[in-house]
Amino acid sequence: MHERLSFFVKRDSPIHRLNPMTKVVLALSLVLIAFSSPWYWTPQAIFLLAIIPLTFIARVVKEYWSFFLKVILPTVSFLFVMQALFLPGESRIIFEIFGLEVTELSAQLAFRNATRIAVMVSSFTILLLTTHPSELMSDLTRRGLPGQFAYVIIASLQIIPQMQAKAQTIISAQRSRGLDTQSSFFRRVGAIVPLVGPLVFGSLVEVEERAIAIEARGFTSTRAKTSFHEIPDPSSERVIRWLLIFLVIISLALKLWLS
Amino acid sequence: MNIEIKDLHFTYPAGVEALRGISLNVPAGEQVAIVGQNGAGKTTLVKHLNGLLLPTRGQVLIGGWATTKHSVAKLAKQVGYVFQNPDEQLFSKNVGMEVAFGPRNLGFNSEQVQSLVNDALAMTELSGKTETNPYDLSPTWRKMVALASVIAMDTPIVIFDEPTTGQDAMNITRIAHVIRALRERGKTVITITHDIDFCAENFERVIAMAQGKVLLDGKTNEVLQQDEILATTYVDPPQLTRLGKKLGFKNTVRNQEEFLAELKNNYTS
Amino acid sequence: MAIVNLQNITYKYPLTDVPVLKNINLQIEEGQFAAVVGPNGAGKSTLCYTLAGFVPHFFKGELTGSVEVAGMESSQSTLDEWVLNVGLAFQNPFNQISGAKYTVFEELAFGLENIGVPRDEMKARVTNAMDLTGISDLANRSPYSLSGGQQQRVALASILVMQPKVLVLDEPTSQMDPIGTREVFGVIRKMAEQGMTVILVEHKVEWIAQFADRVIALRDGHILLDGTPSEVLTSPILEESGFGISRYTSVARKAQGLGLWKRDRLPVTLDEAVEGFSLSPSVPSSSQSLKGGGEQLS
Repeated sequence: MHERLSFFVKRDSPIHRLNPMTKVVLALSLVLIAFSSPWYWTPQAIFLLAIIPLTFIARVVKEYWSFFLKVILPTVSFLFVMQALFLPGESRIIFEIFGLEVTELSAQLAFRNATRIAVMVSSFTILLLTTHPSELMSDLTRRGLPGQFAYVIIASLQIIPQMQAKAQTIISAQRSRGLDTQSSFFRRVGAIVPLVGPLVFGSLVEVEERAIAIEARGFTSTRAKTSFHEIPDPSSERVIRWLLIFLVIISLALKLWLS
Repeated sequence: MNIEIKDLHFTYPAGVEALRGISLNVPAGEQVAIVGQNGAGKTTLVKHLNGLLLPTRGQVLIGGWATTKHSVAKLAKQVGYVFQNPDEQLFSKNVGMEVAFGPRNLGFNSEQVQSLVNDALAMTELSGKTETNPYDLSPTWRKMVALASVIAMDTPIVIFDEPTTGQDAMNITRIAHVIRALRERGKTVITITHDIDFCAENFERVIAMAQGKVLLDGKTNEVLQQDEILATTYVDPPQLTRLGKKLGFKNTVRNQEEFLAELKNNYTS
Repeated sequence: MAIVNLQNITYKYPLTDVPVLKNINLQIEEGQFAAVVGPNGAGKSTLCYTLAGFVPHFFKGELTGSVEVAGMESSQSTLDEWVLNVGLAFQNPFNQISGAKYTVFEELAFGLENIGVPRDEMKARVTNAMDLTGISDLANRSPYSLSGGQQQRVALASILVMQPKVLVLDEPTSQMDPIGTREVFGVIRKMAEQGMTVILVEHKVEWIAQFADRVIALRDGHILLDGTPSEVLTSPILEESGFGISRYTSVARKAQGLGLWKRDRLPVTLDEAVEGFSLSPSVPSSSQSLKGGGEQLS
């Protein structure tokens, strides 16, 4: 079976080699600064001067841009149009369609907001492209994230795709009982219960066994956990993280001060 | 309702060639078991019988109907398929409604549906449990509900995918009774099974598959005689067949009656 | 020394009226290989959960009587401690894969990470467990890309790394194909030969007959029979009560009725059946040479 794990792309790059926490802090910092900084051009600057270079440094250019074109661009374009048409504000009208107005102000704000969203999604995309989910969760757990929380996230990444195979079998089984999955819309709506029902009930039946299985491997043990993988955290990175946090604080402070 | 398979080839979208030229016929009313290790293509083959899969090359005809020309829902009138895991089928409030699901989809009127449901429940010893929620039943009885759901469709051909996996001896006996009852009604029964003893005792014809091809196809006793070829499918012969061979019986035996008959012959000879 | 000691165990799941285990008394010696047989619903899985501490600690419910396993006592020890001493594996390998790890090696290390085993020891234990279960060449594969038999061996290995004193296995081959069954039984046999105390719930009677020291027949929450494979599996009570018995036993019993089986004891294995039927007169001599000896016929 094709083993593409969620987003992660295995490659050797300076970003890949960073400690997961550093990448999380970096992503969050970029987002917080993009959203809080009082300077209008911040999100755009971050996108051009941080996001795009990062995709090159991290050697995930192809994957990032593929995702950008398929998901990010359509979404933020849609957001832009909606905001441009509906944001209130008194200023010069630059465009009118079907009685809806696009003003100078609304266009500016829409552009800024759309870019902010683009920065947010892009930061996390780069994070996920360069960090193995297992490593990310291990590191966060080590720093205090509850083990059960980390488990739910990781297990979902693997188990949900497996459940797709189960869903396929359910569909086949019900089709073999004459369930029509190809005719009118209403028939197909009626087909939902026979398809979703077994998936849900069947999964519930298995949940108990699954819980017992991980319990049998000490999952709820109160002992201090160890980690099989050593995830290095050089002091240089710790400095970088504090620097980033410092920048975020400045950005927030400026916003508060100027408002 | 004859089944004709002509030079069937099938390759999965991912590129795996699962069936590499299968040709065989199953006349109406025959009981066939298909054996072989996982990956041999058994399930892939039977999924062609109700149109869940369509040939990459070759043809599958059900009673003269080409499976490529009819939807799965349409073919379900002729071919019933009992999947291995009942929990991948059950969803209704109670057993009665669950078993009625199939016949209703096939367009029977309510009287007919009721009659088919009652009949199927009687055959699977579930008559008292019409109002019970399937998930309140043990896995053993959920299996019987799944069987009843397909029997109620009254199809001339019924396929069982690993019916005895995980079942205890009593349920295996019940399932064997169901298969016998279907045989008495003239239904064609096709089973995929790892349980070679169950296969030997309940089926007249055995098809052994390996790597997408049919290695052996014939009457049960004849197939069981070919132990070297069977060994390549990693299927151990049935217990009594092995015993008979070690005792030097002239004929291959496949169940207790044949074994005892051979034993008696050896006394009188 | 009894490593398992169940005294007067009666257990009811929460919100139910009928006890699933009724007055069970069971002692198992260290190093013994005990098989448990019975129809579905007899309480076999509940018995497994009781031995593994999940009854009552996970399931709650009402447990009366005393459960002592590997030096622990049910009311005194927590589930945390229990899982360190008793390993539990069951039918469906898919549900036993944690989903939290991307390679087999890490999957095996998962349990050890949870209980705080140091890294070097982790590596050693995992490597050892992979050797025992014959999956060393699968170390870097994703657990989800494996066959059923391979997955089940991964599940077994992930229990074995915890170094339990008792291994409880609930129908581990029920969903396996013939190759998978052989692989899994191979591992179980190896563990038993190395002195592990093994409790195995199984339907495949022929296999138990060859390798188990002891068979316990469970029905309706009671222990119906408890003895050697030969004693238990040939008892007429089993056949009457709807248990699965080996066809060798069944056919020999019928042959006995026809005067064609002369021995007192019915066979449970192929070899016993061959031996027993070969002693009957008029069986062709070729079968005698198969056995290589045996009594002279008059």
